[in-house]
Amino acid sequence: MTQEENGAARASQAALAALGGGGRADRLGVRVVLQILRRCLPLLRDVRGHLFALVGGFSATALLLLPLVLLSIDLIWTRVLGGESLTPIEASVLGLDPAAAAGGGALSAELRRAVAERVVYAWAVLLAFVVPAVLALFYYQTWILQRINQLLRVRLFDRLQALSLRFHAESRVGDAIYRLHQDSSTVTQLIEVLILTPLFAASRFVFSLGVVLLFDPGLALLLAGVWPPALLLAAYVAQRLRARFRIAREAQSDLTSRIQETLAGIRVLKAYGAEPREQARFERDSRAAFDAAFRARMLFAVFGVATFWLVGALVLISTALATLATRDGAPVFAGRLFAAAGFTAWNLGLYNFFKQRFGEGGGATRSLLRTWARVQDVAIGLDRVFELLDLEPEVQDAPDAVAAPPVTESVAFRHVSFSYAPGRPTLRDVSFEVTPGTITAIVGPTGSGKSTLVALLLRLFDPESGEILLDGVDLRRMRLAELRARVAIALQENLLFGATIRENLRFAAPDASDAEMRRAAAVACADEFIDALPEGYDTLLGERGTKLSTGQRQRLSIARAVLKDTPILVLDEPTASLDAATELRVLQRLAEWGRGRAIFLITHRLSTVRRAHRILVLEEGRLAEQGSHDELVARVGGVYRRLVEHEREPGDEAAARDRRAAGAAP
Amino acid sequence: MSAGVETPPRTGRARLEESERIGARDAVRLFRRALLYVRPFRARFGAKLLLVLFSLLPMLLLPWPVKILVDHVILGLPIDAPPTPYPFFVAPFVHALAGASTTAILLATAGVQALLLLLVGAIGTSLREQDQADAWLSSGQDTATRTENEANAGFSFAGGLIGLVDFRFTLRLTQDLNHHYRSRLFERIQSLPMAAFDDERIGDAVYRVMNDTPSITNASYRLLLTPIAAPIGLLLSAGVLQLQFGAHPPLVLTALAFLPVALLTSIPFAGLARRRGERSRKAGATTTSTVEEGITNVLAVQSLGGGEREHARFARDSWEGFTRFRSVVLVGMLAFVAALVPSVLLVLPAFLYVVDLVIAKQITVGDSTLLFTYLVQIGFFAVELGALWIRLQESAPGLHRVFFLMDLPSERDPEDAFALPPARGIDGAESAARRADAGVRFDAVSFRFADGTRALDDVSLQARRGEVTALVGPAGAGKTTLASLVPRFHDPSTGRVLLDGVDLARVRRDSLRDRIAFVFQETVLFDDTVLENVRLGNPRASEAEVWQALERAGAADFVRDLPDGLATRLGRAGGKLSVGQKQRLAIARALVREADVLIFDEPTSALDPETEQRLVAALRDAGRTRVVLVIAHRLSTIRSADQIVFLESGRIRERGRHEELMALPDGAYRRFVTLQRGDGFAAGAGAPSQP
Repeated sequence: MTQEENGAARASQAALAALGGGGRADRLGVRVVLQILRRCLPLLRDVRGHLFALVGGFSATALLLLPLVLLSIDLIWTRVLGGESLTPIEASVLGLDPAAAAGGGALSAELRRAVAERVVYAWAVLLAFVVPAVLALFYYQTWILQRINQLLRVRLFDRLQALSLRFHAESRVGDAIYRLHQDSSTVTQLIEVLILTPLFAASRFVFSLGVVLLFDPGLALLLAGVWPPALLLAAYVAQRLRARFRIAREAQSDLTSRIQETLAGIRVLKAYGAEPREQARFERDSRAAFDAAFRARMLFAVFGVATFWLVGALVLISTALATLATRDGAPVFAGRLFAAAGFTAWNLGLYNFFKQRFGEGGGATRSLLRTWARVQDVAIGLDRVFELLDLEPEVQDAPDAVAAPPVTESVAFRHVSFSYAPGRPTLRDVSFEVTPGTITAIVGPTGSGKSTLVALLLRLFDPESGEILLDGVDLRRMRLAELRARVAIALQENLLFGATIRENLRFAAPDASDAEMRRAAAVACADEFIDALPEGYDTLLGERGTKLSTGQRQRLSIARAVLKDTPILVLDEPTASLDAATELRVLQRLAEWGRGRAIFLITHRLSTVRRAHRILVLEEGRLAEQGSHDELVARVGGVYRRLVEHEREPGDEAAARDRRAAGAAP
Repeated sequence: MSAGVETPPRTGRARLEESERIGARDAVRLFRRALLYVRPFRARFGAKLLLVLFSLLPMLLLPWPVKILVDHVILGLPIDAPPTPYPFFVAPFVHALAGASTTAILLATAGVQALLLLLVGAIGTSLREQDQADAWLSSGQDTATRTENEANAGFSFAGGLIGLVDFRFTLRLTQDLNHHYRSRLFERIQSLPMAAFDDERIGDAVYRVMNDTPSITNASYRLLLTPIAAPIGLLLSAGVLQLQFGAHPPLVLTALAFLPVALLTSIPFAGLARRRGERSRKAGATTTSTVEEGITNVLAVQSLGGGEREHARFARDSWEGFTRFRSVVLVGMLAFVAALVPSVLLVLPAFLYVVDLVIAKQITVGDSTLLFTYLVQIGFFAVELGALWIRLQESAPGLHRVFFLMDLPSERDPEDAFALPPARGIDGAESAARRADAGVRFDAVSFRFADGTRALDDVSLQARRGEVTALVGPAGAGKTTLASLVPRFHDPSTGRVLLDGVDLARVRRDSLRDRIAFVFQETVLFDDTVLENVRLGNPRASEAEVWQALERAGAADFVRDLPDGLATRLGRAGGKLSVGQKQRLAIARALVREADVLIFDEPTSALDPETEQRLVAALRDAGRTRVVLVIAHRLSTIRSADQIVFLESGRIRERGRHEELMALPDGAYRRFVTLQRGDGFAAGAGAPSQP
């Protein structure tokens, strides 16, 4: 099992390396792009009800309007402007006297004006209804697109939260922000670029092609002939576009990261006068981002202009040919079919009509090509999103995960080994067992693996070999959420959020009551200073809790862990920033509160360590010694004894004398 | 005297938030200011205007080829006797073709059209036959992604070669503008005083730099280009109309009437647009902050099982951002509808007028569409002008957010600030007085936070050069605050801080900080190599010097064990190292600096006793020629200091060497130390065996 896990870890590391370094979409062409787009279909499925409603709405409007539009075109073009008489139906629809309007060759001027007026007013009234309806539909569309985007964002966020700390150590925060915002937003373009535009543009093209065919097959061939060079152009450009879009996005993401990192470390930077250096770096990254965007957009624009040239050239040629045909009055191809409609030979009216249609066909081609170019950007954005979504969290629930036990018997490590990076083990063959109701201290030089031990207990990582058992059940067999609900931890880095104290305390225990919260604060000796604050528990902390002193944050951290009320409590250097008096009180209260629980204390401080029932001494990843304070101190040359001796004051004779006089061990 | 009850350090500003209400007058002020920022670029703006003119002029040429083809090729009318005379810029071409065959005319005209296609990307007058060079990429349904396009806006009225040149020029201009503004804003943010960063939400600042700065460019384009480009377009369109069809005042006037319509109907919505825009941006910034914080604190989230909470929080904030954006869209729609009604009322009579012309046989059917096209074009330019005000409102919130940050008081040195004179060494020849001066002296210093909390009260203290001075005391005593006065992270409310006799308030901050190495209580490392992280302290340090500093900080061993040694990347927040290892790197960073004042805030809190002793020895060593200030709780760190200063509630209680202070009967220091040793340790249930 370890081998597989190792493999998985390595695979995800390889994926990490590929992250942002020229991903999958650059290699193959159309197929991969379509693959990516296809992956988004499940997202659309989530809102399919709304999509149907939207499409239904637009279709209904279109269907309603289409006959009206056709009718109006006929009325205006042929009757009003052209001067022909109305059909009886049209006359009655308009409320005109059929006798006067229909029949006979032409319409009188007054009638033409009348028809024009009626059509126009009818449309004015119609618009009063249609416009709000269409706007409402667009608003609805916005809402739907936002919903889709939100779904993707949330999925991405959850994935980020679940990924291992190893991933986070290697990645930049700005990159996550960028993927979450900019890259995921490309999904809103999907409907348009994948469905709507291609559909409409393609149908426009086909329709135009059909009409042109009726005029002259040669010209239709000309129109269709736009595609081979267009496809070549598109193929040539597509991969380059994708590459440039990717670089542009990465550069932007880097810039975002640069800003975030500088601001996160601004204190140190200011203290060391590094602002000018950071400014130079920022400007360099900004310039790089703009240059990358420039190259991408320049290519995009050139492609747009080039496609217009292509299409335009064909339009010109077709116009020239049509002009000649009209000049000569050449017969139209489908003339025989449409003799009745006066559609026999080229004339001015047909000439204009032809030009319109051909231009329409060209326009549709342009639209498709332009959309294809935009699709490249969408694909890259989505690919970056999927890169992240595809990363497997290192630690996941087993398919047959069981409930976590109540931890009433033991917490055991058996031959546990672990390394963050291959070849540099952090823990080697560590074994111990702890019973609830005891305080276990973990000591050792820095880097000896103390915090790692805890990380493994929380299953932030899985051990490479060995097992960790709660009441005899291996951690990996339990449901992760339940396991984490059994352990509360106050970390060494006091990570607090920019929220109220109350919200921070309740972070791990959202259902805790106010009374419980106060009790927890009291255990951590935090209640005193909280009550002294003007807004008490509702005081808003700065981001990362920067409004408080380190000691206060530390106590909040402890209170937060205590409030979770778990059978296992881990405190990582809980009193490093507290003065001795406060430390004493906190430890006393913790000891009381901790009856029946398994408490782990990681610490250097002798005063803290002495409280523990058992002391585990780590050295270079190995459990060097374990036992009570007295046992360990008695071992001459032992690691623990050496640590203790360093903490003592070597020259303080008086104190040592006092102690020896009292019969205590040195 | 309440030991252990601390008052938190307060900052000078409650929150970096600005008010939401931007009145119309404020908006004007914002726009004016935006223009000031554009001044350095005015030459390029002038060039852009010329390009706009160039791109619009070809409009004049477009209708004629079609007309020539119809009249002289298809209809065969003689070219030198046209039904209506050709304008002066077409006439030469027409004359040159006098007497040519229709095929020749066709070829010549086609040639001209091809040229137009190449140069300007237009072959006719309908929209389908005109190209505009631009690169509007896809954007999402929220403010942040829209500004991406704004930040890289390149556009031209024309296509073809001229369009490309115009586009390229514009794109570069936009980018240079945005780069300029982003850099200035970033610079300004960096120069804010330390206290400002306590409340700053990093995500919000990121948002401002990335997404709010393009508003300046946007506003400038609207203010400088549109008022000139739109009238030009208007005049040209009207001009062509005139040339083709003769004067039709009713039409032209109708089209021009769109201007006041657009203007008047949009004004009522301007305020609404601004406010909604502001809220949308703020919501976007909040979401960014939520993400930033959540990911930075992922360790806490995972270990505390707060994943669901974070999920809920993010989902809520994100959707809030979307909702706010939708309300901006809604305002736009309302404005549109408001403008639509009068517009329709204008278009109807215009349409009927055109119909009348056709009925009266004054123009042909084909011409009527052309006429209408020009109507639309004139109307388009008129609306551009009229809707200027409301379109500007889009930029107002962004401008407001940017300028707000720019206006925050930065750490600025007074006019007559001078650089700190170089350090004086200690040699025997120095007079006693000068020797007394050497080092850091606090002279009756008091400090009060912005909210009135008193942190320091009349502290006078000398930390002499060549000595290690330890600041000790219960939490909240003011030790960190006192130390932070030296690099001037704060300035004392009363009293002075002097270095070698020089009042620091009169000294340039950068020169001062060059001489100080400050190690913070909580270590901050960067996602860079170990070498670079340590070199932050001294960019000129050689690798050998870096190794030396690492040795003295007790960090050399583990650095050697790292896979790439000095070149190992630390990863985000130095996530691959233990806290103790990070702390030692921070100490090495301080030691490598050529600083003669070293200030260490709790340098040993995460270190085991062995490493701690080594460090203390290193500090003593460093202290021989420098001023060393150490803040610590741990006895083992402080007891060997040359001077121990015991602070309590902002005052100095006791001062002296360890032995002296221990000898004081019932001394505060003595009590403090005794607690540390664990002698005063009360037995509680479950406590292990007692010594």
